[in-house]
Amino acid sequence: MSIQWIEQVLQLTVQMGTVYLLASLGEIYAERSGVLNLGLEGMMIMGAAISFIFSIAYGHLSAIFIAAMVGALMGFILSILAVDMKLNQVVVGLALTLLGIGLSGFFTFPEIRKNILLKLNPSLPVEMLLTQQAEKLPEIPIPLFSDIPILGKMFFSHNVLVYFSLILSIVMWFILFKTRIGLTIRSVGENPSMADSLGVNVYMVRRATTIISGAFASLAGAYFFIGFHPFWREGVTAGRGFIALALVILATWSPLRAILGAYLFGGVETFQYRLQLFGLGAQSPYFLAMLPYIMTIVTLIIISTENVKKKIGAPASLGIPYSREE
Amino acid sequence: MTVVDVAKTLTIPYIIKIQKRLYYSRRLSILTTFSAVIIAFGVAGLFFTIIGLNPLEVYSYIGGVFASPTLLLESFKRAIPIGLAALGLSIAFRMNFWNIGAEGQMYMGMLASTGIVLLHVYYGLIPDYFVLLLMLLAAFFTGGLWCSLPAFLKAKMKVNEILTTLMMNYIAMYLADFLIYGPWRDPKGYGFPLSVPFPEYSKLTIIFGEFAYGGLLLLCLTAVLVFTILKYTKLGFELKIVGESIETARYAGINLSKVVTVGGFIAGGIAGMGGLTIVSGIIGRLRPRASPGYGYTAIIVVLLSALNPWLIIPVSIFFGGLFVAGDILQATLRIPGAAVEMYQALIFLFIVIGEFMKRYKITITRRVFG
Amino acid sequence: MNELVSLKGIVKHFPGVLANDNVDFTLRKGEIHALLGENGAGKTTLMNILYGLYRPDSGEIYIEGRRVEISSPKDAIKLGVGMVHQNFKLIPSHTILENIILGLKEVGFIINYKKISEEIKKLAESYGWRINPNAYVWQLTAGEKQQVELLKLLYRDARILILDEPTSVLTPQECRILFQALRRMAGEGKGIIFITHKLDEVFAISDRVTVMRKGKVVVTKETSKTDMSELAQYMVGRPILFTIEKKEPKPSGEAIIIKNLKAFNDKGVLALKGVDLVVMKNEIVGVIGVTGNGQQELVEVIAGLRKAAEGSILIDGINIVNSSPDRIIKLGVAYIPPEPLRYSIAPNLTLVDNLFIKAYRYKPYSNGILINWKKVYKKADELVKNFQIISPSLFTKAKSLSGGNLQRLILARELSGLIGDRIPRLIVAAYPTKGLDIGATEFVHKTLIEYSRKGSGILFISEDIEEALMISDRVAVMHDGRIVGIFKPGEVDIEKIGLMMAGVQGASTI
Repeated sequence: MSIQWIEQVLQLTVQMGTVYLLASLGEIYAERSGVLNLGLEGMMIMGAAISFIFSIAYGHLSAIFIAAMVGALMGFILSILAVDMKLNQVVVGLALTLLGIGLSGFFTFPEIRKNILLKLNPSLPVEMLLTQQAEKLPEIPIPLFSDIPILGKMFFSHNVLVYFSLILSIVMWFILFKTRIGLTIRSVGENPSMADSLGVNVYMVRRATTIISGAFASLAGAYFFIGFHPFWREGVTAGRGFIALALVILATWSPLRAILGAYLFGGVETFQYRLQLFGLGAQSPYFLAMLPYIMTIVTLIIISTENVKKKIGAPASLGIPYSREE
Repeated sequence: MTVVDVAKTLTIPYIIKIQKRLYYSRRLSILTTFSAVIIAFGVAGLFFTIIGLNPLEVYSYIGGVFASPTLLLESFKRAIPIGLAALGLSIAFRMNFWNIGAEGQMYMGMLASTGIVLLHVYYGLIPDYFVLLLMLLAAFFTGGLWCSLPAFLKAKMKVNEILTTLMMNYIAMYLADFLIYGPWRDPKGYGFPLSVPFPEYSKLTIIFGEFAYGGLLLLCLTAVLVFTILKYTKLGFELKIVGESIETARYAGINLSKVVTVGGFIAGGIAGMGGLTIVSGIIGRLRPRASPGYGYTAIIVVLLSALNPWLIIPVSIFFGGLFVAGDILQATLRIPGAAVEMYQALIFLFIVIGEFMKRYKITITRRVFG
Repeated sequence: MNELVSLKGIVKHFPGVLANDNVDFTLRKGEIHALLGENGAGKTTLMNILYGLYRPDSGEIYIEGRRVEISSPKDAIKLGVGMVHQNFKLIPSHTILENIILGLKEVGFIINYKKISEEIKKLAESYGWRINPNAYVWQLTAGEKQQVELLKLLYRDARILILDEPTSVLTPQECRILFQALRRMAGEGKGIIFITHKLDEVFAISDRVTVMRKGKVVVTKETSKTDMSELAQYMVGRPILFTIEKKEPKPSGEAIIIKNLKAFNDKGVLALKGVDLVVMKNEIVGVIGVTGNGQQELVEVIAGLRKAAEGSILIDGINIVNSSPDRIIKLGVAYIPPEPLRYSIAPNLTLVDNLFIKAYRYKPYSNGILINWKKVYKKADELVKNFQIISPSLFTKAKSLSGGNLQRLILARELSGLIGDRIPRLIVAAYPTKGLDIGATEFVHKTLIEYSRKGSGILFISEDIEEALMISDRVAVMHDGRIVGIFKPGEVDIEKIGLMMAGVQGASTI
């Protein structure tokens, strides 16, 4: 249990947690405005798939950008279905998730990957066309800060996206609680008819937040792949999108608390692997793998108890489509 | 410039109005559903062309599945777990319990059935003729328990069932992984993660010697059971009212906790039986990832069937056929099985949109400025 | 140009009712104008039109002399018109400040909490209010919430303020504070329209008063040039007393004895302040009074759907206060709630489902697990015939039925003794004929009278004085959570009734 070991664990915790953090940040905005995005998982896995392809074809920058764009597109589609057409948000969210999982599944096949990669960048060498893994995002330790014992490794020795996620959380918290836009978003989620009567364009607000949640979900998927574990597998995100949904509830819709929750889940996952080193038997990995999901259920139960609910609650109109009555 | 301002500058010079239709004819209804399916195939075809496949080739294979008797039989086989799960869901959805956990409940059913088989094979505790029956009961019971926990949490504490049932799916899958990679691995299986093969009398092949028929019989019987429950029992009536509105149910004096938990138990139990049919019928033993997402397909099936037990059977067969097509495409054209999921999602999406189109009329007129 | 608002020839139809019948209305600068009338007179509809919630079928709106179209509250606010409803439109989990500044572009990107907080505080003080803009709305009392609603409008420089029954949720002290504030606003040149049904308020605060009745404007007068009894008369009109064939009831014991009943309403305010009432079997007692004086709470307590804070309700010697609805039903109490489509009828379920929504679990319609639909359908046919429910079939969805037929459905369900086949000991009906046409109304009256003759005691709440006088054996007037008068029809003249309903001191017969 050396300092090194602790540092490593904490570093990994943050790295794992960033996936959840990015996805939940976008979803917090969507849910604050009243939209429940059950398509998070599909958007996340699409982000991973897109980042895979594009990082091979063009490199990391394009991978990140295109992934976010695809996510934004999926978010846009969700907004049309859920906000304008006022369809049941659970149903369309699940449909989008299935769609995302299905589409991304295509990239599992080397043949198909080859076709696409060739179309994108005809000058790629052959071994890159058939590779199953991508190049990982480089770590950029911040000079001086990264030498601080423990904290240095935990916060200052990561790749770009991790730093981005932390800065983003703070910025998004600020916007949500200290600016007019944030107030508007929160009010639309609490009482859309009141906001409407005061001149707020409820549909536009919800569209924007849904697009954001889609973009960030895909960004999270892209990060998961090229920033953390660049080995492709079918269903690579394994339900992390859904865990992010639970995380939003755990964080009671606040970007800052989302950091804590994300790292909590990240930590649990990290221990999943570490405990094996303690020789807790070869059977352990599966039970440890269950931990995040069990924790999510426990979290949900705690949040639903009466006294917790009274103090912090969901946005009042979450999941309810808004329509102006005559 | 705030986000809202930017969005405003993107307004198009058209006004899009959405109005409720006064009525819609049966013809319109069928037309919309058909066009939905066709559009779904069209969009999928577009996608195929982009990634370098010939959509017509793909579709000929899919069509081929329903034309060939052997493949059709194979579709029936797949339809059985899907259909059973969907029947369970029809009870859950009836009372507005969004059971996304059919997949996990199926896994629990698989585990329970395998457990019984192992007890029989290794310890000889159960007489031969009893095994199948016991498997059915065990599968029903474990599946039921797996669903009644989230149901109880919803009834008593209003915990969101979408997330809880979903999480239970992953827990069940990892539990299955643990067992199949560990204590339940067949020692004579050369190290592969497989259980012992199930003995003949524990498979549903006892009827006409073919699983498809036995399974279909089970499916039809279950459909009758579900239909009876929904239409003729007090519970079915109470489920209907709870699904309609919780306040009305309370006003009518219904015991919410009891109804929701029992309903959940039955729904999960039937899904558990679906799991049984996978290990005992389709595969013949337990292996990892035994279900390629049947539990999620069941959600689409039950929603497309409008919760009607009789419609569930043909719709399940259709989706079963899609899975078979997926396997064939994977073997021949080298298209991943994920294609199937994509179809399902697309079909589902467009039919849902179709439902919307049936009820609302969209008019687009030029916006007049000034 | 002294007129802030001028409404000319406003006409508004709703299905089955003419809510505004050629209404003219003006509001002057610096004036507090009371809009007086009973429920259903059309006052709220008229103001909703001014506030942009409804569009008039015909008529014109002028604001400060300019003709305008108001198609939504957004437009109204832009024109300087603001309305404070009885149900506040606030976000409880946000602060006062956040509720007030929502949607205002002038606030800028980053909210300058300190500056705005100061501004709001000052604005509030100018009207005699003391508030902390950083308090959360859920912490506030009703009176304070109302202040926030008003500040929302005042912060946006509203010049025309409409208040809909503002004192219904206030304590007397809060009323005083409100009136002071209103006078200051009027002093600034703002115009205030004050919707009310309480006569004493009209004289406390208004400069002019307009009385509306059944969609028409009856009169507009300077408040100083009229008095309470004149206004009461205008409000209530001259009744047309039809007499119905009614034999003298032979009371045979009490159906229900209510003593000193006190209860809170949903907003936490004491709605029943000590109700004493006895209803005999074979007797129809009609309770009249303006809606919102505790009638709804009274019937809910009797039906077991609301807890009482104090007092007793005796049925057959048993105190049923705070019992479960199930138990009260078994004691023979039938409850006909108002607004059928709220929760007593499931709109997407069929007619027969709704008929049996409570009775399905009793014999002979079910035994143990199964429901015997044959018996159910047979009984349903019978009920449909006896209660004249018009519907294409037993399996029509309830939402397709008209209000009148839904009411018959409820009557059939509650009164036919589905549970035990008895005549109910007590029938409690809240506004049973609201929104019904003449035929359906007659049917309801007939049915109630029939059951009273069979031995039920009937307690029914009505908004319509004529109706109550017509079919009741005794009439009770409810005001401010108490019974302020009880008499036989014909014993008391209409003016006195109006005064009682308006809560004027000295009018009660008790």
